[in-house]
Amino acid sequence: MGDSQYSFSLTTFSPSGKLVQIEHALTAVGSGQTSLGIKASNGVVIATEKKLPSILVDEASVQKIQTLTPNIGVVYSGMGPDSRVLVRKSRKQAEQYYRLYKEPIPVTQLVRETATVMQEFTQSGGVRPFGVSLLVAGYDDKGPQLYQVDPSGSYFSWKASAMGKNVSNAKTFLEKRYTEEMELDDAVHTAILTLKEGFEGQISGKNIEIGMIGNDRIFKVLSPSEVEDYLQEAE
Amino acid sequence: MSRGSGGGYDRHITIFSPEGRLYQVEYAFKAVKAAGVTSIGVRGKDSVCVVTQKKVPDKLLDQTSVTLLFPITKYLGLLATGITADARALVQQARNEAAEFRFRYGYEMPVDVLARWIADKSQVYTQHAYMRPLGVVAMILGIDEEKGPQLFKCDPAGHFFGHKATSAGGKEQEAINFLEKKMKNDPEFTYEETVQTAISALQSVLQEDFKASEIEVGVVRKEDQVFKVLSTDEIDEHLTAISERD
Repeated sequence: MGDSQYSFSLTTFSPSGKLVQIEHALTAVGSGQTSLGIKASNGVVIATEKKLPSILVDEASVQKIQTLTPNIGVVYSGMGPDSRVLVRKSRKQAEQYYRLYKEPIPVTQLVRETATVMQEFTQSGGVRPFGVSLLVAGYDDKGPQLYQVDPSGSYFSWKASAMGKNVSNAKTFLEKRYTEEMELDDAVHTAILTLKEGFEGQISGKNIEIGMIGNDRIFKVLSPSEVEDYLQEAE
Repeated sequence: MSRGSGGGYDRHITIFSPEGRLYQVEYAFKAVKAAGVTSIGVRGKDSVCVVTQKKVPDKLLDQTSVTLLFPITKYLGLLATGITADARALVQQARNEAAEFRFRYGYEMPVDVLARWIADKSQVYTQHAYMRPLGVVAMILGIDEEKGPQLFKCDPAGHFFGHKATSAGGKEQEAINFLEKKMKNDPEFTYEETVQTAISALQSVLQEDFKASEIEVGVVRKEDQVFKVLSTDEIDEHLTAISERD
């Protein structure tokens, strides 16, 4: 990876034992738009703010929540271009797994492989870490799952999590509202209310995105009008 | 080697600064502004138009060779704003990629696919130290089979969006303010309105009236699908129409 002139790692230890480039990458994530995910008893929902730089931007051309496989979806906070790279690599890894084993890739495996890629970019020569954290939502034989992957390459399974600008308020809100018996529709409402907490301006189907997966194991991104329906119910 | 804590290198190559920013990418944006040229793109109901200033720095230069408007294929156009040399390199690669796409898949490369390819390439330059980001903002225009007229803008950071109207270069923000007012109620411009909105936006922002030889105009229209650079006569017609309208 990289030119031979840069075959030394740019991410090196500081005297206090910290990997400073990774910390800076996390700062980049922390200044990104808020996103969150909630694992319900019968599914997972992920959601994000979709604030575009101008009204001139065609919001139909932008989709932040992406499908990795029919039963796994992902949302990011941080640098959009970096997330595209990871989405592409993850999709390819999922396909390669299917070609080899003729089975859809389990969520944990896909998360692990994506995290490995992110870790490689913290150690390889001539590259910088990814400036994104990912929330991966999937439903496989082990049930509904939600994982968060950080720029360092570390990942954890979460019942509910948030990332980006408003992370501490969002997490406090989620801690209060989360229950293990929550069902998918409740989770969607809670997700909307959490986003609303830190939202600047009027929330609508056009400036947030919601993706969900239920017992049917099909990940889908809601259309703006479907989001509006949920927004009205949550009022 | 004292790398990894910034140590001043966060300004030289694309590694993170302590605030989580990429200085090299930000400087690339500044290079686009410093080029001193402003470009505008407007998408209408069945056409897209891009306009840019044509600054010929020396009278001895052959004006026909000074251009920032490039056809990528017969159906796709690219308007580059920023460092001309970087623009030519990008155009060359884009032409190659579009031709390979046509060969490999048997149909023309769609606008958004080309825009995504350019944006992904730009992202690689922001992550790998051995290549600097390009100092170019690219506007891609074309007619999509399913979605109709499309205008995309790709920047040095690797972002790309579809736009109803947009601008790049020295007076980018003023132009965007002007265009936001014009496009507020989602008007559906005809071909003439699209071109005239683009040209008059440029005139208003730069506060001067142009001669046809001082601007470049490129269009795609649904009726013939082909990317066309307007001739000076055609530009003159539009300029006259604008001044008569005012």
